[in-house]
Amino acid sequence: MEHADVLVVGAGASGGVVTGALADAGFDVLCLEQGHWPDRTDFPALRPTYELEARGGWGGNPTLRGRPEDYPVNETGSDIATLMYNGVGGSMVLYAADWPRLLPSDFRTNALDGVGDDWPLTYRDLQPFYERTDRAFGVSGLAGDTSIPEGGEYPLPPLPIGDGALRMARAHDRLKWHWWPAPNAVLSRPYQGRNACAHYGSCMQGCPEGAKASTDVTHWPNAIKAGARLITGARVARILTDAKGLAVGAEYVDTEGKWHVARADVVILAANSVGTARILLNSASPRFPHGLANSSGLVGKRLMVHPFANVTGYFDEPVDAGGHVGAKIVSYEFYETDPDRDFVRGAKWSLAPTGGPLNAALPARAGNSVWGKDHHAHVRAHLGHSLSWCIFGEDLPDEGNRVEIDDSLTDSSGIPAPKVTYRVGENSRRLLDFNIERAQRSFAEAGAHRTAVESLMRFSGWHLLGTARMGDDPATSVVDGWGRAHDVPNLYLADGSVFVTSGAVNPTSTIVSLALRNTEHLIENRREQRTPR
Amino acid sequence: MTDDKLRTWLGAVADELIPAGEGMPAATEVGVAGGQLDLVLAVRPDLARALNRAWVLAGEYKPGPALRLLADLDPRAHQAVLEIVSGGYYTSDLVKRLLGYTGQRPVPVRPEDYPAYLAEGLLDRVVDRGPVHRDPDSLSRRQ
Repeated sequence: MEHADVLVVGAGASGGVVTGALADAGFDVLCLEQGHWPDRTDFPALRPTYELEARGGWGGNPTLRGRPEDYPVNETGSDIATLMYNGVGGSMVLYAADWPRLLPSDFRTNALDGVGDDWPLTYRDLQPFYERTDRAFGVSGLAGDTSIPEGGEYPLPPLPIGDGALRMARAHDRLKWHWWPAPNAVLSRPYQGRNACAHYGSCMQGCPEGAKASTDVTHWPNAIKAGARLITGARVARILTDAKGLAVGAEYVDTEGKWHVARADVVILAANSVGTARILLNSASPRFPHGLANSSGLVGKRLMVHPFANVTGYFDEPVDAGGHVGAKIVSYEFYETDPDRDFVRGAKWSLAPTGGPLNAALPARAGNSVWGKDHHAHVRAHLGHSLSWCIFGEDLPDEGNRVEIDDSLTDSSGIPAPKVTYRVGENSRRLLDFNIERAQRSFAEAGAHRTAVESLMRFSGWHLLGTARMGDDPATSVVDGWGRAHDVPNLYLADGSVFVTSGAVNPTSTIVSLALRNTEHLIENRREQRTPR
Repeated sequence: MTDDKLRTWLGAVADELIPAGEGMPAATEVGVAGGQLDLVLAVRPDLARALNRAWVLAGEYKPGPALRLLADLDPRAHQAVLEIVSGGYYTSDLVKRLLGYTGQRPVPVRPEDYPAYLAEGLLDRVVDRGPVHRDPDSLSRRQ
């Protein structure tokens, strides 16, 4: 039987950061990961079938992808499909590597706007950890952005934005709207033994160059050198607790179907907001009949996924949007609440490329298909002549949006699978409609001859947040301000499940910064930590 | 699954969707119902079942009515046919060459020493307009 000081479940973004920090501090850490090490030579970027594979086995939806290490999610009651990657590096392996921070107001939505709840920490509390994780992951960006205090400083210069984004920047200059070169966790220069971006444009199906940051390349090699143990192909079914109500480890199954127990003094869940809620709910016992750490009844509730709209602009002239697929430039012009609007909070815009010829023929985002005699003209008008504003709207917490355990669906190991219920709220709908109209205006100013709109993209649930919120009151939150479960003092949550509100930005930067902050607090207070021994 | 009759039907459907024109070949000219179909199904085996359904449901119909029928009866099978046809077509080397599309090839990134947006002063004006974030401590924001 495996035993460790600390057991971490999940080797993704937060799992990598947590394990690295603990191993560096001398802890004996064991991590269980249901997936495997990604094989860069297997990424589809260099194959002629790249675009086809991106829609199949390299897509983000685990139910459709259906790899052995994936688990199915019942999403029939959800407006948005959840997306993730199960393996070392987690969903960072397939993310676009946009690296924004939450804004100060995101931590105070109730005090400022009367919606959501305030976080038990502030932007200032997290700022030093943002700066440290920027360096650890290798972020390229330009200091001085007026969307965050002090504008941020990055270890690497910004990636080139291309002629297309320059065109949009000039349009925003004329409109007097905010824009800034986007920070990306993609290397603009060689850094810490990793190669710079090679412009494959395949970030969301794995970076063959290793230039895109994910913990399998940024954190795990060093964590293992420091003594951390990582078992892949290890799918955790439940957290085990003792008579005192303390976590004592986890029960897991390997790829051959053999069941094991790993024991530990402290357990940290880092399995994303769907996976962590699933494990907690599946860990129900006579002592914890409604699931582990769930005396508040909030485990699984308040799921937030960022409703996502997309506006594509078409230009007569070629527009260069090559290179990394993440944001070229961003705009926070409509991020903050404006009392003159019929909604609260706002959205972040990211300018992105629109893909290759298959996507021109059969758009995965905004746009239509044209078949028959006009097909070729349609494809030529799209390919290399279009840009896309990706609009992430703030998702207000709603207890009706939730992760539960499905009555009958299981994964291939027989472990009950999650069911997601999610509906886009009225505030989100108004917010998106407003921003869509403004994005169309942005493209018109830039000279686009037409635009196409996808007002809500179903396969957009990358940002899995909430389901086990932080807070000071055990009656209204699952974990405290340091990620520790109110009900189980040696159980911690380290992923996006602890988010109190969603903000409207890509969350990975905040997830890993929060994970680092909370882990260092655990390390500093190790002598006060209750354990089963 | 990929017998001759299915391939003949798929070829007719494919040419209905992507006919020759504007200097581009028709779908069957680049083997969408032949070698390209094998290539597509090799990397996307998930599409095979839906293609088989499409063939069973609409194989007796001419291309136009077949596509309309599939869109009504089985949208997933309809979508699979579109994906197989366009996927096979746009992975063809000839088609990519005619479009001038080079695919995913490595081009070393070079951070610009002095990007055009700085030379034009675009960011100076963003900075001059002030913060776009609210500071919870002072509730200040650019108006």
